[in-house]
Amino acid sequence: MIAQEKDIETAIPDLGDIPVNRLAELGSSALAHSIALYRERLRENGIPLSSFQARI
Amino acid sequence: MTITNHPLPEAAFTELADGGGSPATMRRLGDAQRSKHLMLLHAIAEAAAGPGPGSAAFRVGYEQLARIRDTAPGAAAWLLGLPHLGGWVHDTLIHLDQGTAADFGHFACLVAAAAIRTGLPVDLDVPVQDGRVRLPGLGSLLVASEKSWVRLRSDGARVTAGDEFAAEARRMVPDDGTGAGAGVAGWSGTRAIRAAGCGPAWTVLLETGDPYLDRYTLPMRTAMPTGEVADWRERVSSAWQIVAGRHRWAAQPMADVISVIVPLTPRSDTDLVSATTPAAYGAIATSWPPDEVTLAETLVHEFQHVKLCGLLDLVPLTASGDQRVYAPWRQDPRPAGGLLQGIYAHLGIVRFWQAQQHAETDPDGLLRAQVLFARWRPTIGETVQTLRETGSLTPAGVRFAERLRAQQQQLMSAPVPARAAQVAAEVALDHRLTWQLRHVATDAADVAGLADAYRRGEPCPGGARTWIQQDVRKVDSGLRSRLLNLRYLEPARYRALRADGVLPLSQADRLLLERSSEAAVQAYRTRIADSADPQPDAWIGLALALHQLPPSPPRAALATRLAQVAEVHARLADRTDPLDLASWFT
Repeated sequence: MIAQEKDIETAIPDLGDIPVNRLAELGSSALAHSIALYRERLRENGIPLSSFQARI
Repeated sequence: MTITNHPLPEAAFTELADGGGSPATMRRLGDAQRSKHLMLLHAIAEAAAGPGPGSAAFRVGYEQLARIRDTAPGAAAWLLGLPHLGGWVHDTLIHLDQGTAADFGHFACLVAAAAIRTGLPVDLDVPVQDGRVRLPGLGSLLVASEKSWVRLRSDGARVTAGDEFAAEARRMVPDDGTGAGAGVAGWSGTRAIRAAGCGPAWTVLLETGDPYLDRYTLPMRTAMPTGEVADWRERVSSAWQIVAGRHRWAAQPMADVISVIVPLTPRSDTDLVSATTPAAYGAIATSWPPDEVTLAETLVHEFQHVKLCGLLDLVPLTASGDQRVYAPWRQDPRPAGGLLQGIYAHLGIVRFWQAQQHAETDPDGLLRAQVLFARWRPTIGETVQTLRETGSLTPAGVRFAERLRAQQQQLMSAPVPARAAQVAAEVALDHRLTWQLRHVATDAADVAGLADAYRRGEPCPGGARTWIQQDVRKVDSGLRSRLLNLRYLEPARYRALRADGVLPLSQADRLLLERSSEAAVQAYRTRIADSADPQPDAWIGLALALHQLPPSPPRAALATRLAQVAEVHARLADRTDPLDLASWFT
């Protein structure tokens, strides 16, 4: 019997099947939590930029 | 209603950690980006409840997005995956967090673009900037009036903007150079490039107008003349031939994910800058590349960053921390997150040059490929070790890093010609020693103790304590370093410059470049001993010249403890022989 591989827990809610006008119903759910986490990361770190400079 | 987070199978994680990315895995990353954008749009919607035309336009746009998503999921998916939307969403959130004015109304332009592109009806007010209405991902339309807002309507077939603009929706398309969209009065399509090779085809926008994608270390190249657009089309197409033909592992996922190239304005002709940001997943920025192989490498390199940005949104691999460490590809000390990005990018770069070695027929091109393969290959394992030692990796980050190390070990078995290995080792040493003299501080009391011990003729009691401190010394060895690199990056230019003999090089540097190693050692030795001031660039030159000779105690000391040796020498403040002092350290 082959053991089924576990999925890795991620930080982004899957909104693929959630209608836009029902997002508000999610209120203080996991969505609000994910948004708060993301905004906190943005406040702490800004938007990182991977920039490479090669001088020829 | 309940929601779950995006699933990421272990196999997809492993695939990415190995540097790859199957179409299915890339779809997962793309789906997560769309969810992320929708999530952040929801946060903006909660803030855009106030009065004012911008907020009102946002709300109408948001309602229309809901309708589009119900009736034409593909159109909504296009919009939610657009790098332009990513840039705007992130900037808007930052404005909201900082309490500064957010450009809510721009969202109406984004929604209008999605509707027009798909032939859906739309009816909303859109902002006018510099006489134009921007439709991100498509182009812009001219509104010849002083209005700051205009009503944009479409029944799906015909689009109007007030009384100033009218056109068929199907003709409002990007300008791919084939005449599509041409002849539509007032319409200016975003430049697009359709590149085809012997593998997958690639369509990519050349974005020169969207303010939310003008977000890199160099400004966007705007107002690009037609001739320059043609040059970009030709160069991107040539580079794509290389990627699609010889680097298949990267080609298909890149064609699926990268939808925008942002050309950057370099500060000088010799600058080559490329960049990505997690705020614009799917976009790569680069200054004008000197040749198609360089652009192909840049695309592979930056695509690695894009993939990792997508993964990092899902799974944190590093924890925040202040520690800065050495990265073999940067002049400044880097945090753990930046180091991980660099390692991942360089795994792609090493694979690129490994394959490119077998494609190059020109001797100069072959030398470049061989040296770059040899230059970057060992850095992956070394830097993974540095990264692990920071203690900043999360458990997932540790697994990711170990997969990277395993990939590097596989690459180490490929043979490299001796000449290429020698050049690569020399430039790697030059980079590391230059970095150390710039950023490694030494404890003054320890240095004084070492100097006293040397004066008294005692054995070296050990090393001084050191730590990383940005720009602790000024090192002026830029020209020599550039020439060392030019030998393989542009051998023809290097030969021409050396033949001209006009370069302001010291005699010691000339001897080093000529590989008159013994004479170079003597010249650097004299310069250091005779100078009352510290000579960091001469110390590096001395280490490089010794590196050209057989192993010796001073060579070993300077390769590993250069900052300490140089500091003790400065402390002695007499005509101490640098080789004698270096030997004393071993």
